Amino acid sequence: MSTIATSPATRRAPAQTAGRQETTWVVTVTVLLVALLGYFYFAVPDFRGLGASGILALSEQFLFTGLIALGEALVIFAGEIDLSTGAMASLSGIVMAALWQQGLNIWLAVVVALVVSALGGAVNGLFVTRFGINSLLVTLGTQFIFSSVATAVGGNSPPYNFPKSFVNLAGTGTVGPIPNQLIGFAVIAAAVWLLVARARYGRGLVLIGYNRAASRYSGVNVQRTLFGAFVLCGLLAGVAGIFVSGYYNAARDDIGDSLLLPAITVVVLGGVDIFGGRGRMSGVIVAVFLLGILNQGLLIRGNSSLTATMVEGVVLVLCLILKIALDRRAGVRLRELLHRRFAVARAPAAGGP
Amino acid sequence: MSALSPLPVPAAPAEVPPVLAGAGFGTALGLLRRREVQLLAAILGLFALCTALHPQFGVSSNIAFILADSAIIMIVGVGQTIVVLGRGIDLSVSPVLGIAAVSIGFPASASNLNIWLGLLIALLIGFGLGIGNGILVSLVGIPPIIATLATLTIYGGFQFIICGGYSVINIPAVYTNFGSANILPGVPWLIVIGAGVVALAYLFLTRTVTGRSVYAVGNNADAAFRAGIPVRRVLFTTYVISGVLAGLAGFIYLAQIGSATSTSGSDGNTNLMSIAAALIGGTTLLGGRGGPVGTALGAVFLSEALQAMISFRINELWDPAGVGVLILIAVVADRRGSPVRHMLRPPLRPPAKAIP
Repeated sequence: MSTIATSPATRRAPAQTAGRQETTWVVTVTVLLVALLGYFYFAVPDFRGLGASGILALSEQFLFTGLIALGEALVIFAGEIDLSTGAMASLSGIVMAALWQQGLNIWLAVVVALVVSALGGAVNGLFVTRFGINSLLVTLGTQFIFSSVATAVGGNSPPYNFPKSFVNLAGTGTVGPIPNQLIGFAVIAAAVWLLVARARYGRGLVLIGYNRAASRYSGVNVQRTLFGAFVLCGLLAGVAGIFVSGYYNAARDDIGDSLLLPAITVVVLGGVDIFGGRGRMSGVIVAVFLLGILNQGLLIRGNSSLTATMVEGVVLVLCLILKIALDRRAGVRLRELLHRRFAVARAPAAGGP
Repeated sequence: MSALSPLPVPAAPAEVPPVLAGAGFGTALGLLRRREVQLLAAILGLFALCTALHPQFGVSSNIAFILADSAIIMIVGVGQTIVVLGRGIDLSVSPVLGIAAVSIGFPASASNLNIWLGLLIALLIGFGLGIGNGILVSLVGIPPIIATLATLTIYGGFQFIICGGYSVINIPAVYTNFGSANILPGVPWLIVIGAGVVALAYLFLTRTVTGRSVYAVGNNADAAFRAGIPVRRVLFTTYVISGVLAGLAGFIYLAQIGSATSTSGSDGNTNLMSIAAALIGGTTLLGGRGGPVGTALGAVFLSEALQAMISFRINELWDPAGVGVLILIAVVADRRGSPVRHMLRPPLRPPAKAIP
């Protein structure tokens, strides 16, 4: 965001303050994650008893949520939202399984499923960019449609018991102590992080969420960037669907339904502003593990899954209160700075490039 | 700005309630542009079509079923509409409904809880849970979609705890009789309650200071604040109303279904259906535009469309898709400059100023 200021006098301070806020939050989430791991490790014997490989294997329980969160974050960065990701994950798993049942090679089926999910994302993107409809509404509608299609494709008894090679690679296999899914997630997360934090595309994406008009004036192709975000979001949800199916060795038409809200929780916990334009992808990636470890740790501690879910909700609220408090403290500084800078130099600041 | 003293409620022309403002109500063409009228036409048209093809569709018991079936979504949807008008959203209505249903369901089946007491408890539960949402949104300042997402999980947990693995069954006949009684052939009691809620909400939004402020806040919270409207208090009120109505819907759920479980409310997708009814009824998620009458018609239309799909022997699994398609049609038709709006635009009026 430092690129949008107009004069040398205004370039640094406000942007730096906003950037510092975001960094503070990533650090906060990381500290929370470390503290949480420490707590579970030292206070919960069963958690310690898992050993390193066992703790790493826990990630298989929440990485598919993380994949959806990565895609969701892309869309939320741009100030939009995608409610259809959960249904999309179900659809992708079901399409893959159904094609495999029809005799198609499982890997080809995976490719087709991913193409289908990217196309589903494209449909969302088309409605949002071409017809200019609020993404919340579009994806609310398509969510219902995708989930119906998944039920229809799946039929009465959705397939299960996939080939060993598939279940091993995309599901429960490991390389040494490291689960394959964790490796896959790491690669994808790194790519998405690069895309947002280091690539021109990501800059444009976040700028769109920050100020759509300004991004257009600075030469960002808003329509194409947004469209791309929805396609990527659909694609990542599709990958999540494959991961889930591989992990459970079965496909179900409602398997993704429960993934949407935790994914949005992760994005918000990661410090991304729900209205777009602010946040860090690194925060989202850390938050995937924060929420996942919290959930799994509570389960191992002997809490019921419903307690774990409730605690997630409480943690979300507490983290947001903390974030609002941190932001406000920084916000006062920011406002003072803005006031001081712009009170004298309003004219040049008002005109666009 | 500090020179301006706080103004009373913005001076909307008294004779045009905000719900109808900008509708061009005078002309027949203007009437056609109103979503409520379009929906009413769609409801009657679909009814005529289905009855012509399947005479069984038009019998009074089927009409009663459609209306009764829409009552829950109508009531929750009206609450949702009020929240959405203030540019918020309430994702926690389904567990509020569920908690109300099971909290009165257990004492009702175990010790024959008085039906009026049950109603009161349901409303109070909705009131309390709505206050929770209101505090998070208006006092703490968490974005509504996130705050109610969090309470969705928290309240959902409460519902599970209250149930403790049991389900409510064997409701006293007082409840179920009420749930299935008709005031006239084809007009169930439930829809009378729904209509009453819609009427009260309409009066609230058009005739009270707070209600009108909801539109102002939804249109532009900043401007509303500068005009002296207590924005936070207004927002708080919208969530409390939504909670109370979700509680009422929980009572009706119990009376209508005759049982309740730890997933009541969530299993029927009450959240999204209530938002869908509001959208189809012409309320925009950007706040400040729409009203409860459209939502009520939207709920009836949804219920009728799903029933029509059954009579056309379309597999039940396509029900969600039907809802989704209706939402998309509604939002595309609502879009500024869409062909539908363009055709119905009254002449001699300059087009809305485009935002660059």
